[in-house]
Amino acid sequence: MLFGLLCITFAISHVAPGDPARLAAGPDATASMVEKIRAEYGLDRPFPIQFAQYLQGVLSGDLGRSLRTRETVAADLTRYFPNTFELVTGAMLLAVGLGVPLGILSAVYRDGWVDQLTRVVSVSGIAIPAFWAGLMLQLLLALHLGLLPLGGRLGLMTAPPTPLTHLLYVDALLAGQWRVLGDALAHAVLPTLTLCFPALASIVRVNRAEMLEVLKQDYIVNARAQGVSELTIVARYALKNAMIPTLAMIGLRYGWMLGGTVLVETVFDWPGIGLYAVASAVSSDFQPIMGVTLVIGLNFMLANFLVDLAYGWLDPRVRSSLSA
Amino acid sequence: MRALVTAVLAVLIAATPAPAFERAGDRKILVFAGRQEVPTIDPSIKYDWSIRMAQQSLYDALVKYVGNPPEIQPWLAEKWESSPDAKTWTFHLVKNAKFHNGDPVTADAVRFSFARTLKLNQGPAWMLSDFLKEDGIKVVSDSTIQFNLTQPYAPFVSFLPWWYVMNPKQAMANEQAGDMGQKWLTTHVAGSGPFKIKRWEQGVLYELEAVDAYWKGWPSKDHIGGIIYKIVRESAAQRAALIRGEADIAEGLSPEDFDQVAKMPGIVVPNFPGMTTFGIKMNTQNGATKDANLRKAVCYAFDYDALVKIYNGNAVLQTSPFPNATRGYAAVPGIYRQDLAKAKEFLAKSAHPNGGIELEYVYVQGLEEERKMGLVLIDNLQKLNITVKMIPLIWPNMVGRAAKVETSPELMAVFTTPVSTDPDAVAYQYHKSSWGKYYGSSFYANDGVWGLIDKARMIAKWEDRAPIYADIQRRIAADAPEIFGMLANRRWGMRDHVKGFVFSPVRLTGEVDLYPLAIVAK
Repeated sequence: MLFGLLCITFAISHVAPGDPARLAAGPDATASMVEKIRAEYGLDRPFPIQFAQYLQGVLSGDLGRSLRTRETVAADLTRYFPNTFELVTGAMLLAVGLGVPLGILSAVYRDGWVDQLTRVVSVSGIAIPAFWAGLMLQLLLALHLGLLPLGGRLGLMTAPPTPLTHLLYVDALLAGQWRVLGDALAHAVLPTLTLCFPALASIVRVNRAEMLEVLKQDYIVNARAQGVSELTIVARYALKNAMIPTLAMIGLRYGWMLGGTVLVETVFDWPGIGLYAVASAVSSDFQPIMGVTLVIGLNFMLANFLVDLAYGWLDPRVRSSLSA
Repeated sequence: MRALVTAVLAVLIAATPAPAFERAGDRKILVFAGRQEVPTIDPSIKYDWSIRMAQQSLYDALVKYVGNPPEIQPWLAEKWESSPDAKTWTFHLVKNAKFHNGDPVTADAVRFSFARTLKLNQGPAWMLSDFLKEDGIKVVSDSTIQFNLTQPYAPFVSFLPWWYVMNPKQAMANEQAGDMGQKWLTTHVAGSGPFKIKRWEQGVLYELEAVDAYWKGWPSKDHIGGIIYKIVRESAAQRAALIRGEADIAEGLSPEDFDQVAKMPGIVVPNFPGMTTFGIKMNTQNGATKDANLRKAVCYAFDYDALVKIYNGNAVLQTSPFPNATRGYAAVPGIYRQDLAKAKEFLAKSAHPNGGIELEYVYVQGLEEERKMGLVLIDNLQKLNITVKMIPLIWPNMVGRAAKVETSPELMAVFTTPVSTDPDAVAYQYHKSSWGKYYGSSFYANDGVWGLIDKARMIAKWEDRAPIYADIQRRIAADAPEIFGMLANRRWGMRDHVKGFVFSPVRLTGEVDLYPLAIVAK
């Protein structure tokens, strides 16, 4: 799958009309300056050779060099991806933490005020564009009320901890820099909420629909007839079955969010992989684009793998078929 | 939608109090909100406005552009002289200049820096590489350096403000695999400038700290103690940061945003005519615009005043192919202005006397001003029975199309900033050597003009050069290779505690000379 992804991305990058070497050389560069850069980055070689060399590099862990940042793509990804990872993971944890209970409550109290309210939230979450929601949150909570920072990863005068894992929260924790951690969390609130909102809406809708379906099943009716408490029915019997499709959706959504944060990152100046990808794309800097594609592809695969594992945990039939 | 957001933002934040500038101990820190990253600060490798603003702060050059109109002032060189044929240039260095690590700035360092840039053949190398070779750089003494050019070149000194001097010891001590320190100098400095690096978080912010014992001294006792250049990519967030006092300077706001913040208390908007020309380049060798009469018809049909309106009056029309601040600028009598009768007259002489053709107008996707200019074109050329097809492209694709005469569009919106005040820097955009570059997308061909450009750059005496450039301007205008548009004013939003701002039109669009800035607390 990854190979196919690389083939397609490489081909698209190379048929685009822009000349990356000319752009990297600058607007006034002479032909010899452009050719020097072309040779330095191997862009003067035939397309199949470039691709073969790229693949060879990838297999040995070399993702190439960015014409724009002049850094290795691996170094750039190490710098930007952890920021996106922390943002998306935080947003998804919040979305799951709120979305699953809201979906349950919405199904249990169908057509009640909780359900109506939840529907408003879920429809809004899907209908409102993320950048607009981000701007509105920024406007209200940062500009008008002054409760939260406008954007960025840390305050201007806050120096980040020494990067050990490149995950800011973890590095701040490891260094015992609580003020930095607090500052980082404060800066994460608005982008996390913005990113969480559409995911929350999807989780609520799917979980509610699945819960309603499961709650109609015979074994639930039977449990109720036997006098099992409603809490036990919902939490122990219904939720596990309802969670299987919800989990599949969460897995896909998480993978998608890791590659689809660019608007939120732009609004909040969050130095993540989305901004890196866009900046690379508008510079025709194709090796970073390939690197980002690879990372996003891997994330999707990993997210799906984790979802498959979770299926086994939730559903004994899957577990037994796997062991068989 | 964005207009609504902007309006609501403006109302809600109007009453929000603005905190003061940042401080680090007793240092006053200026926060600059810029939209563009600084991917490298290596003076030999690359320049654009944000890169050069950083380079100018971290490094010194032999001379420096200061003021409006820009004048070349001594900097690392206290004086210089050239031979009568403008082939040999000798510079005498100040004796007290020191790199940040304490090493003296010597002629050896100057020779190394120029040789390095020529050898790496990137960034500013194109400015001198046709005239200066490594073996032509001669160290006369510790404080005297001589450049022996391969041929006379009168504009030589006008490019030197962008050739920064590096400490050879630091650069070479950090050399990796024969790269002359390229990798290290991407994010480290080996300079003698008024600032040094304190923090470098790529893609996030760059913090510079003032060098207290800067060899040149400081122009004000209230000089800034440091700068934080923060990347703020969204225009609404830039404006908000400025209004809330989280940024002291913001660049790149839309014309409407500048007008809006200029009315707010505590904010000033310096507003100066720049040197960046806006023109709509026409392909002179391919497509319908190959016909000179058709190009002239287009030039006479265009509503020039609309350009100024797009910038809410903050622009002046071009009266010559050269920007007004260029040395030797001479207004061309009878430069094109809207005159429908003349437009029809020239159209009648063209290969398409009744119009009935479609012209492609290519502009930068997302650049609202260029889109509006396209709408003006559509409206104007309709009167000649010419339709305009608007094609928004991302910048790399525009550059790609402009690289070849076969693909260069009939009409292409182009902003161009000359790198020096010498007329050669502008005239050369119309030389054959500029074909393939985005500003050469007209593929303008005129042997007479090319001959004059080649001749003028080799003449030492300005009195002899000036009339040639006046002639060049007239001849280019007569050939109508583009719609000569306007010079948009340069503007920045600034908190009013920022003092000492010195405008110089030769600097690139958002670039500010940070050295003279001061913060005076109320």
